[in-house]
Amino acid sequence: MIGLLSIAIFLPTVLAAPTYLLGRKNAKVAKVMGVGTTLVVFAISILILVVFQYGQPGFQLSESAPWAASFGLNYKVGVDGISLPLLMIATFLSLLSAAGSWDQITFKHAEYYALFLIFETGIIGVFTSLNLILFYLFWEIVLIPMFFFIGIWGGPRRRYASIKFLIFTYSGSAVMLFGFLALYAWTGTSAYPGGPSFDYDVLAARIPSLALPLQLVVAITTFVGFAVKLPIFPLHTWLPDAHVEAPAPVSVLLAGLLLKMGGYGLIRYNLLLFPKAVTVLWPYFTTIGLITMIYGASVALVAKDIKRMIALTSVNHMGYVLLGAFTATVAGVSGAVFQMFSHGLAVGMLFLMSGYIHDHTGTRNIDELKGLRGKMPQTVTLLFLASMAAMAVPGFANFISEYLVIQGALSVSYLFAIAIVAPALTVGYFLWMLRRVAMTPGVGPRNELRLHSILILVAFLVPLLIFGVYPPPVLGSVITPTVEKWVGTIVALGAR
Amino acid sequence: MALLSLTPFLSLAVFGLLATPAGFLRFRNSKLGLAPFVCILGLVVALVSTVWLGFTSSSPVSFGGLRVDLFTLFFSGVLLIVAIFVTVASLQYMREDPNKGPFFGLLLLSTLGMIVLAGSMDLVLLYVGWELMSIPTYALTAFRKNDPNSNEAAMKFFVLSALSSALIVYAISLVFGITGSTGLTAIASALSTAGPDVRPFGVLAIVLFIVGFGVKMAVVPFHMWIPDAFEGAPVTIGAFLAAGAKMAAFAAAFRVFIVGILAFNVDFYSTFAIVAVVTMTVGNVAALMQKSFTRLLAYSSIAQAGYILMALATPFTTTNVPLGLAGGLFHVLNYAILKTAAFVAAAAITTKLSVTDLDSLNGLSRRMPQTSLSIAVIFLGLAGVPPLNGFFSKVMLFTGSIYSPYNWGGYLALAALVNSGFSMSYYGWVIKRMYFDEPADQSRIPEPRIYMAVLWAATILTFAIGLYPDPWIRLVQSAAAALVAS
Repeated sequence: MIGLLSIAIFLPTVLAAPTYLLGRKNAKVAKVMGVGTTLVVFAISILILVVFQYGQPGFQLSESAPWAASFGLNYKVGVDGISLPLLMIATFLSLLSAAGSWDQITFKHAEYYALFLIFETGIIGVFTSLNLILFYLFWEIVLIPMFFFIGIWGGPRRRYASIKFLIFTYSGSAVMLFGFLALYAWTGTSAYPGGPSFDYDVLAARIPSLALPLQLVVAITTFVGFAVKLPIFPLHTWLPDAHVEAPAPVSVLLAGLLLKMGGYGLIRYNLLLFPKAVTVLWPYFTTIGLITMIYGASVALVAKDIKRMIALTSVNHMGYVLLGAFTATVAGVSGAVFQMFSHGLAVGMLFLMSGYIHDHTGTRNIDELKGLRGKMPQTVTLLFLASMAAMAVPGFANFISEYLVIQGALSVSYLFAIAIVAPALTVGYFLWMLRRVAMTPGVGPRNELRLHSILILVAFLVPLLIFGVYPPPVLGSVITPTVEKWVGTIVALGAR
Repeated sequence: MALLSLTPFLSLAVFGLLATPAGFLRFRNSKLGLAPFVCILGLVVALVSTVWLGFTSSSPVSFGGLRVDLFTLFFSGVLLIVAIFVTVASLQYMREDPNKGPFFGLLLLSTLGMIVLAGSMDLVLLYVGWELMSIPTYALTAFRKNDPNSNEAAMKFFVLSALSSALIVYAISLVFGITGSTGLTAIASALSTAGPDVRPFGVLAIVLFIVGFGVKMAVVPFHMWIPDAFEGAPVTIGAFLAAGAKMAAFAAAFRVFIVGILAFNVDFYSTFAIVAVVTMTVGNVAALMQKSFTRLLAYSSIAQAGYILMALATPFTTTNVPLGLAGGLFHVLNYAILKTAAFVAAAAITTKLSVTDLDSLNGLSRRMPQTSLSIAVIFLGLAGVPPLNGFFSKVMLFTGSIYSPYNWGGYLALAALVNSGFSMSYYGWVIKRMYFDEPADQSRIPEPRIYMAVLWAATILTFAIGLYPDPWIRLVQSAAAALVAS
């Protein structure tokens, strides 16, 4: 019996082939099939929301099937309160990004949408798989379409950006894979009945009895892999290049989803699997998170290209995820998960908008965008709203998530009060950007976005505002129960 | 009935001898002549009988020094697939050559040598197989006799290869001196009780074996001939050397070390571990610096040999499933498919563009879309991206290494994984050239159907093994078990 999750994972890839073959002759067919498939997958994810039992901490809608039993591999997927919000933004952002690509991708439509659908399979798979090798498989599937997206449809420095992206993330994954394999080998000895396994639940049960040095090795190596994707401070240099050179809808995927893979991996595999290692490592990891937050914000302050600025916001905002996750408190971890959800939407909206602005004005340079209000008044209003979301103004979901992260951090140590510098800097660079772009007197003839583009942008705002004003449907009934359960386990093991 | 297990060997021998004279016959006006078809027929008969034997024969059959067990059949299957791909691609590549008869005859006889190598349990037979494999390949490398590059390549290859044969003979004679036998089983039992006085000679024999096999396996520092030979030889013969001869040398090394020398209780594992790390690192770093496609393939094949060598660096107990060894065999299979296909793609490019420098690959996706797509898939497979076949064999190899009782096992695996990550830089670079760079010449190039057939077959196999690896993992596990049991 094939369940909803498997359909959501594999439907896009199954339809990728007809999309390519039929779309080769007629670009419109490729567009319709691409957007249509993402719409269907979004509908399936809504169905998952309906079937999901709220308030339950465990994995739901689980499916498992034999895959390569001779090597301890099984196909196993499921969602819990941590993966469900990410699954939802994966399908939602894929839909909006596919719709945004309608205008912004201008050639090779068949190839683009086929790769897009393969990407969607990968990203949904990452957030739902419960087997380490399956997870790695989807993790890498995401990489290849992204490489082509940047390299073929990207900006002037696309070749450099694409190969840099590929080498950075692939090397990071290789180190991460070492952690997975070591875990398999070290928990596969005769001391553990049942034979070696890559199964998430089996490993979660076995790891507490694994010696601490071995746990540390695995925790650090997997951290490297996730940290490259997140990205953290010294390993982030691929990000500005990739985000700036990628076409805007792909930047939505990069910032909105690809970075979340790192955050999700950190929480699901690093934090939850290695409670004992976390007791040793959390001061380092949270410090790195703090540095990443402040560094990202400071560099964004001096960015001249609006897209580069948005890209660096991501570095800034993903630092919160790292900080929140490794406080290992209910507030911090819930905040980190919620931050991934809300940041995905806010930054996705900003990136898509930067693409539209570039298409309509021919530039992304903040200084040259002066007087945008005259040309695109509605877009400027939306830019204001999206910036407010990214600045974490109360009323937007981002406020709640960042508040939770900082609350969690402060409950651990008052030294984390320094974290408050980051939101202050964030507000600084956004307001400065808005002052230059939007608050200058309008010049030039009106050149507004078409209605459907405006609607796509507004669609990003809806969940941000709804869950910003009333977060319980996401936070209280989905994220927190699961986080409470896992944090409870961690606390019981003496992590804090 | 037992004689039936010799069918693959007999088929290759008979058709191999028939192919050369068949080269003089031709159908009416056909340019091709009969030789290639005799060759393909022989290979297909051998492959079908190998597969059939693999499914039906439950217990291994021995004919003196020749042992037909699952290990032999596994290598025989891999090498025959390589030979079939090479032969089919050569149909196109050698189309204009007047001497097709000897070419295909030699190809078959060399394949026979390789299979004998995989099945030999006696060092003398092993040497016979070794020479039967090597001598035809010298001639095949020098097949373009008016081409100085081809001659230079063959000369280099011949000198080093002859040296390796000599070293192996020396090693065999030392082992015979110590144990009084050339059969591997007898050697194992004699070595397990060998006194300390013969130890130095035994160690010397091991070193000589490592060097002798190492030349053919192309491990650093005995790899120098590989890039020149692959570049100078006809490209399809490059595939035959890279995927066929090299893997056969691994088969021989597996037999000799795991059946025979294991009993000697000498730590050859750390030697192999060091050689493996050096080999993969040198291969990967050098590959990044290449300007020619075939040389890049040559260095990438050196790096891949480093991964396979990890199987010999992983000690195992007979009670355990030898995961590293099974992974090594799995990588032999995957590497053979991927590398043959990569060389066939190179053949397609050289046939049409007549150059192989990497600059000519720029924008190739617009000129030769099918070739480019298959190169991309093959390279991702070689880099070990899931869900392609190379991923699972690497995972098994590396996990096996972590399982190793030596505490350096984990470092070896980490070094291999870092190498694997690094290798993406040149594999990705080629993909970048093909897909992202602008071609100097936009014209579409017709892609020969025969090459495309091989490339598509390899691409489909790559995906099929990668998506559902279970039966293949079972196969290599039983092949590894058969080797350990022999």
